[in-house]
Amino acid sequence: MSDILLKMENVTTVYGRNEMLRNVSLEIEKGKITCLLGSNGAGKSTLIKAILGLVKITKGKILFDGEDITGEKTHKIVRRGISIVPEGKRIFPKMTVVENLRMGAFNETDPQTIEKNMERVFELFPRLKERRRQIAGTMSGGEQSMLSIGRGLMSSPKLMIFDEPSLGLAPILVEQNFETIARINSEGTTVFLVEQNANLTLEYAAQGYVLQKGEVIVQGSVDVLKESEVIKSAYLQE
Amino acid sequence: MSVLDMIIQQSINGLMLGIMYSLVAVGFTLYFGVLNVINFSHGDFFMLGGFMALILYGIADTLGWTQNVPLLIIYLFLGSMILTALIAIITARICVKPVSKAPMLISLLVTLGLGIAIREAVRVFYPRGSDPKGFPTLLPQGSLSIGNIVIRYENVIIFVLGVLVIVVVNYLITKTKMGMAIRAVAQDGEAAMMMGVDLDRTIDITFLIGAAVAAVAGIMNGFYYGQIMFNMGAMMGVIGFSASVIGGLGNVYGAIVGGILFGLLETFAAATLPMGAENKRVFAFFIVILFLVFKPTGILGEKVYERV
Repeated sequence: MSDILLKMENVTTVYGRNEMLRNVSLEIEKGKITCLLGSNGAGKSTLIKAILGLVKITKGKILFDGEDITGEKTHKIVRRGISIVPEGKRIFPKMTVVENLRMGAFNETDPQTIEKNMERVFELFPRLKERRRQIAGTMSGGEQSMLSIGRGLMSSPKLMIFDEPSLGLAPILVEQNFETIARINSEGTTVFLVEQNANLTLEYAAQGYVLQKGEVIVQGSVDVLKESEVIKSAYLQE
Repeated sequence: MSVLDMIIQQSINGLMLGIMYSLVAVGFTLYFGVLNVINFSHGDFFMLGGFMALILYGIADTLGWTQNVPLLIIYLFLGSMILTALIAIITARICVKPVSKAPMLISLLVTLGLGIAIREAVRVFYPRGSDPKGFPTLLPQGSLSIGNIVIRYENVIIFVLGVLVIVVVNYLITKTKMGMAIRAVAQDGEAAMMMGVDLDRTIDITFLIGAAVAAVAGIMNGFYYGQIMFNMGAMMGVIGFSASVIGGLGNVYGAIVGGILFGLLETFAAATLPMGAENKRVFAFFIVILFLVFKPTGILGEKVYERV
């Protein structure tokens, strides 16, 4: 079972009153795009926060690369090779583009690796190179989205989590974002894609899970998901 | 003395005083940025800085280490900064950090209470703590006269030291990785954690910087007035807070500008207004209130960027 990068076993969380996970189990396979679908409030964000150690896990455990990371502090979990492109981009608005990218490589100590990763980001998004000295908060939504993805790449992660990359973007930019995600994946990074937009997500992912009210209700390969009644009725209607 | 001389003389005095206020204001702004807390106990760390130096001086005096004055001054500053910062970090962990997520009213009350506890602890535990305590005169006395303008050497040293501390703080915050973590946490704490920033450590470092800088101001204050008192932090807290608000809470440069402005307002009020010396702070606070009415975000107030 060494091809499983991240594994959640019966994870239960309590977070506020409404959002919580109940006995969630899932597996993210190395090298693939695994997706998590679900409507607003299904617990998708909570699930990401559980992986990152930002909410308390009351039952179950999470394994990353075979090691138990349940209850570890966020910065330690991240250091293991998980990076996130958060919902709403969450760039640092008062920092420049370059400073934001450096934040993405916060735990990288080798300046050459940082330089190399930054070159890779600039190659992927030439626009960011043009704007390297600009204050991030003054950039357009599309550019901020590029910056958020670029920042996520800076730590040379093993697993990259995308939280609603389509949210609040024009359709053409959404398409571009998904192409970028596919490219990142093809270059060897495992991707966990958390989305509401099932149509597009199922085009790119290899397998996935559907979350509803904090529980996994459907799982399997993309073909299985496409055929599932839940997805057909709830997510695939235009 | 001509009007011009008066203006120059008062500007010098105001800058001197203002730099001290700036050092206290910086802490308010840092804590607000990182923890979203207005830490009303901060003025008492300014006071603690002065008392720590006094205790350290007492120890040095008993041991007969007072011959080498420059070395003694460095020992007083560094020792007091370290001790004050340690107390700040510990108290922040125990009672400031836990309430930082609570409504602001709660953190306000808790930090006010912490300030009172520190103040009273000094009053009770320091020998004859209710009385003003004489501060050793270590800086060179005497003054320089240029025409009608008199500049005391002591004030020059205090001013230069203040500028130096500000330059160092600015360097730490803008140029080092530690400073980048502080700024990142101030802008978006959770996102900073997602990037691998150790939040607890960053908070500790923020309190270390804030309290150490306040301690410097406390010692300067001791040298300047020649005496310190257990309750001097209360007024300094209000001044430091006002200065950070004038400058724009959350902005380090704003805090510095605000502190200097407050110092200038005070000295000019004392020199020019009838009964100014007694009411200089009334006047200064009056200007602060005007500021809050007409420019609530402060001089260098943060623009709020929309997250598109």
